[in-house]
Amino acid sequence: MTYNLFIYIIIAVAAVLAVTAGKMLTSAIMLAVASIALSLLLFNFNAPWAAVFELSVCAGLITVLFISAVSLVKKEDESLKESRGKFLLLPFLAAAAFIVFSITLTPWFETLSGHVKYPAGEFKVGEIIWKHRATDLLGQLTILAAAVFVIKSVFAKRSEQ
Amino acid sequence: MTTELLSYSIIPLLSALAIPFLGRTNRKISEIIANVTLLAGLANLAYIIFHPMNRNSDYAVFSFDGLTITMLFTIYMVALCCVFFASASHMVKAEKNAFYPLIMISVSAMSSMVLARDYFTLYIFMEALAVTSFSLIAGEEGKGGIEGAIKYILLTFPASALILIGIAIMLMSGGTINFDMINSSPSTGNLAALAFITLGFAIKAGLFPFHFWTPDAYQGAPSAVSAYLAGVVTKISGIYALVKICMTIRLFGEPAKPVAFALLLAGVLTLIFGAIAALMQKDMKRMLAFSSISQMGYIAAGAATLTPVGIIGAILHIFNHATFKTSLFLNSAAIEKSAGTTDMRKMGGLEKNMPYTSWTSIIALFSTAGVPPLSGFWSKLLIIVALWVSGFKLAAVLALVFSILTLAYFMMMQKKVFFGKPREELKDVREASAYMLAPAFLMSLIIVLSGIFFPYVFEFLGKTL
Repeated sequence: MTYNLFIYIIIAVAAVLAVTAGKMLTSAIMLAVASIALSLLLFNFNAPWAAVFELSVCAGLITVLFISAVSLVKKEDESLKESRGKFLLLPFLAAAAFIVFSITLTPWFETLSGHVKYPAGEFKVGEIIWKHRATDLLGQLTILAAAVFVIKSVFAKRSEQ
Repeated sequence: MTTELLSYSIIPLLSALAIPFLGRTNRKISEIIANVTLLAGLANLAYIIFHPMNRNSDYAVFSFDGLTITMLFTIYMVALCCVFFASASHMVKAEKNAFYPLIMISVSAMSSMVLARDYFTLYIFMEALAVTSFSLIAGEEGKGGIEGAIKYILLTFPASALILIGIAIMLMSGGTINFDMINSSPSTGNLAALAFITLGFAIKAGLFPFHFWTPDAYQGAPSAVSAYLAGVVTKISGIYALVKICMTIRLFGEPAKPVAFALLLAGVLTLIFGAIAALMQKDMKRMLAFSSISQMGYIAAGAATLTPVGIIGAILHIFNHATFKTSLFLNSAAIEKSAGTTDMRKMGGLEKNMPYTSWTSIIALFSTAGVPPLSGFWSKLLIIVALWVSGFKLAAVLALVFSILTLAYFMMMQKKVFFGKPREELKDVREASAYMLAPAFLMSLIIVLSGIFFPYVFEFLGKTL
């Protein structure tokens, strides 16, 4: 429980920082941190496939796409001047929405319990990643390599200009 | 993933990682590594396809289908032509130690997409391809490239979201995302999931009305990159997956008909819109971009008939489109280098100065328009026959009529660029170098040979499909 609570706090803090950060690059990195924490939580909730997909898509891929897009933004536009304090309200609004939905949508989630479900402890993290999703690791490596060269080509040109 | 052929995705990736180190002092080495890697891959694939032992055993040694090997061959062939052209023409201004690795990574990502055997793997490599494409489009100076890149990336997000929703529905309803297992479990949940995935890939393929990013991307990118993007990248990242999905929903029977019909409608609208828009263009590269959109319509319509003939026609048209569109884009690049423009209003009478470029253009444009016995004729014939036999007679007639319109706008292009009286300011224009002409010659040869030996090509695909 303490472990889960610790992850909840990391997710909340990273999410708030992602919204309020002045620099877009910081926002993208904070979003990645929130995603990694969420995927750890999903592993703990015995949803290994969802966790692996969260790790692949949100933590790996979306971050690379965001960083590539940020590399196109001009340096002077990078630091946002407007106040982002008002966005601090967002997490509270999201929490309120979550409470309302969890009451109204619980019956719907219960109907899903008939769907595919793995028994507790059937799969281990390493087993899922290495045995079942090994090719995704090659995909991750490809994306990381692509990101390095995107930054090398687009960032290098921007700093020349 | 098909592990027998995994080397086709790993070797280009390793080559991409090696280029910055080995080519640090001498940029020529980067070009050599990229060219040699692709040439070796292509030679290997040709050996697999043409070796009598493999042919006699119906390729039983390899657990792949005709689609996989044809697509791998197409990827390596187009990539080699574009990389060779880029290194011979010196037209790419981007940093070589980033440009060549990006091409190699995209080759690796495309090969992995083709070798993927489940939807999530397909998705991951599609995104890797999107990242490299984005950088290749934005890599050139000027506004066009950046605009095209931004439009491309903005469309990637909704497409990815739709594909992910599809994958989620698949996992919730059947618990599997494996191609073979989905083929054998035609449930409503899987069909709904495939409908979402189809929509996502239709956006990526640039089908009407999601086509608006393609002309900007092709026009804004460096010419060798435009040929690469139009020839193979957008085909693998979008239309290949659509054909693959059609091969699956074909097994679902009657319930799959509405999804296929929606795809067919999008395909027919795309081929109509692309041809009409191409007719109105003044810039050669932009005309080729709209023509490319139109050809995507043919492929989607052929695959959406869900008949074996239609699907084989669609696969063949992907291959043929790669050959003739690469040839045409590389020729436009050669003209841009020699005449300094791609605006057709400023050109004329170039045939006298650039005879080889003119002839390879004629072969490619005849193939695009479906003139027999060139390869484009056969794939279009299969698609039109499949449409007619499946009962979509109006669609078949439209496909035929717009094929004639394709010939019309390409003849106009040829007339404006190559025929007529040579313009005074272009009289010093010189033919492209032999190295720059080599890829277009290779493509022309493939167009003619695969047209003449069509029965063998059809047999190869029919046997392994």
